[in-house]
Amino acid sequence: MSRTVSRASIVSAIVKKDLVEFSRDPLYLFLSILGLVFFIGFFWIAPNTVNETLVLGVHQTGMDALFEEFEQGATEAEGLKLVQFASEDELKKVVSGDVEYWESEDGTQRFFRDKAAGDKRPEDAKRVAVAIGIGFPEGFLEKTAAKEKTTVTVYSDADVPAEIQGAMKSFVREIAYALAGNELPVTEPAQENIILGTDRAGDQVSLREKMRPMLALFVLMIEVISMASLVSSEVLTRTVTAVLVTPAKAGDFLMAKTIYGTMLAMSQALIVLVAIGAFTAENWALLLLTMLVGSVMFTGVAMIVGAAGKDFIGTLFYSMLFLLPLMIPAFSILLPGTASTWIRFLPTYGMTQVLTGITAYGLGLADVWKNLLVASAWVIVIYLAGLFTLKRKVESL
Amino acid sequence: MTDAAIKVEDITYSYGDLQAVKGISFEVQPGEILGFLGPNGAGKSTTIKMLTGQIAPKSGLAQILGKDITLDDPDIQARIGVCFEEKNLYLSMSGKENLDFYASLYGIKDAGSVEILRRVGLADRAKDRVKTYSKGMRQRMMISRAFINSPDVLFLDEPTDGLDPVTSASIRNTIKEEAGRGAAVLLTTHDMFEADELSNRVAFLNDGVIVALDTPENLKLKYGKRSVKIRLRDGAGVREETVALDAPESGELIKAAVGSGEVLTIHTEEATLEDIFIKMTGRGLAG
Repeated sequence: MSRTVSRASIVSAIVKKDLVEFSRDPLYLFLSILGLVFFIGFFWIAPNTVNETLVLGVHQTGMDALFEEFEQGATEAEGLKLVQFASEDELKKVVSGDVEYWESEDGTQRFFRDKAAGDKRPEDAKRVAVAIGIGFPEGFLEKTAAKEKTTVTVYSDADVPAEIQGAMKSFVREIAYALAGNELPVTEPAQENIILGTDRAGDQVSLREKMRPMLALFVLMIEVISMASLVSSEVLTRTVTAVLVTPAKAGDFLMAKTIYGTMLAMSQALIVLVAIGAFTAENWALLLLTMLVGSVMFTGVAMIVGAAGKDFIGTLFYSMLFLLPLMIPAFSILLPGTASTWIRFLPTYGMTQVLTGITAYGLGLADVWKNLLVASAWVIVIYLAGLFTLKRKVESL
Repeated sequence: MTDAAIKVEDITYSYGDLQAVKGISFEVQPGEILGFLGPNGAGKSTTIKMLTGQIAPKSGLAQILGKDITLDDPDIQARIGVCFEEKNLYLSMSGKENLDFYASLYGIKDAGSVEILRRVGLADRAKDRVKTYSKGMRQRMMISRAFINSPDVLFLDEPTDGLDPVTSASIRNTIKEEAGRGAAVLLTTHDMFEADELSNRVAFLNDGVIVALDTPENLKLKYGKRSVKIRLRDGAGVREETVALDAPESGELIKAAVGSGEVLTIHTEEATLEDIFIKMTGRGLAG
């Protein structure tokens, strides 16, 4: 008896079968559900505030007028707060963290809390973290004016970036230079600042917001492991051979795996993105498109891994081999300043930039289209590599 | 004679430098069971892979139902059924779900999966996941999957390998039923008893070459010895006599033995297919 069956029916039957297998595998389900709960929970636990103010501790004597002027200016300017300390030892202890510095809400009362000595937490006060401080010696003004050598100490917590430490040293040098009656040989422009690129001052995003693209990529990563395991088991148990002696062709099998992988990855990524509040009325279409691009990319990775893996551990190993480099661009968003130039050449760089732009900074297609184009080009490369690898594997059975 | 369901002319296949199939030719008619006998590595599975479209012959002609297998015609795949040696079933799905899935690949909406499972004695386990099935049940499941599309051509690779006698007998009956409804069956097996019982004809395959192709009876007649072994009471002991059937005095010798009243047993000394295979190739089938 001869029957005709459409390619679409065959592909749909294989996708349906894959979904049944997925829903019955406790490991895939566990990984998926755990991933969803963990990532969503992690997002909401992460801090949602950004402190852009640099607190500078100062100890000085005989320079009250000068620092009053500085302090006034610092209060008016965004991003710098001056805290004066009565002694250099006090400043040192606060910067080193041995003693905590607290202020009342209105800033009029100051408290020092020595936790080691059992001091209680001051009421109606907030802790002010002083990570860097400058200790001016007695007679600094006079000695500098007389062009005598003197020593200024910059105290810095180990966590303060080297750039800030360097800036403080320059700041001290500049003060001394000016006090010595020298005019700086450099003239600043009349306008306050010239910012090249996007000025994020006052518009910085919190760690939580920066995590959005990373979480979306993590979910896709979990789905790579699930799908690669499914593909690998189909290859190893040779169920695919049984499928290919029916009217189903290798192309149907690959198409079904593409649809299944993309559908699964995208649906889970969407659940996470909805749960972490990434969608807005403005960005939903662009975000959907980006997630589609990402899902196809990771489906391609899953095909390569599935064709290579010989068991679950092997699949996990190959998954990590591919996924860890692909995660680097997402991590670099979390840790600004860590991104090297080579990261731009990683396949997920463009997609991460697009996701960050959309979810954290509210950018639109006009702003992200170049990165989206780069991401799409990578998708084509990775997906075709996945198709080729899996097709060769299937045909070699 | 009707058109052959399987027609193979001088096909070859190589894995790199190793020539696994060296130009074999045979035909299988509708309703006929051809037993493909040979030791491991003889080229049986490679031949089945070529005929089911898994690999393409390097040379020669292979037709299924009059169509060249290398043309990748979906109509051919729709009309064949394959039972693999490996139990490649979806373990997390039930027996019925497995059959329904394969039926959907053939475009069959209502496959009557439970009825097919009933034929192999698995109807009461239809809703259980295959991973809970015993080895014998999985093999019956494999057979039932090969029947899901009521195929015109069946390829059965070691369908009773390692099964208990009862399950094997049940599977053999099912294969006979399929041939009875007109399906051409290509059966590979190590089991000489099975080949003898099921096959209309057998092909001996050795080192990629068919060394003999005929009915089991003709092969036995051609290569076996025609004789009877008579065991006689001899005083307190037992004496054996072998009488060749083709000798002129055979009749008299048998008559005398029976007339002596001392006969304990008389057996025909028919060669088995394995004897013939060893005689022809110098090696056994199990190797």
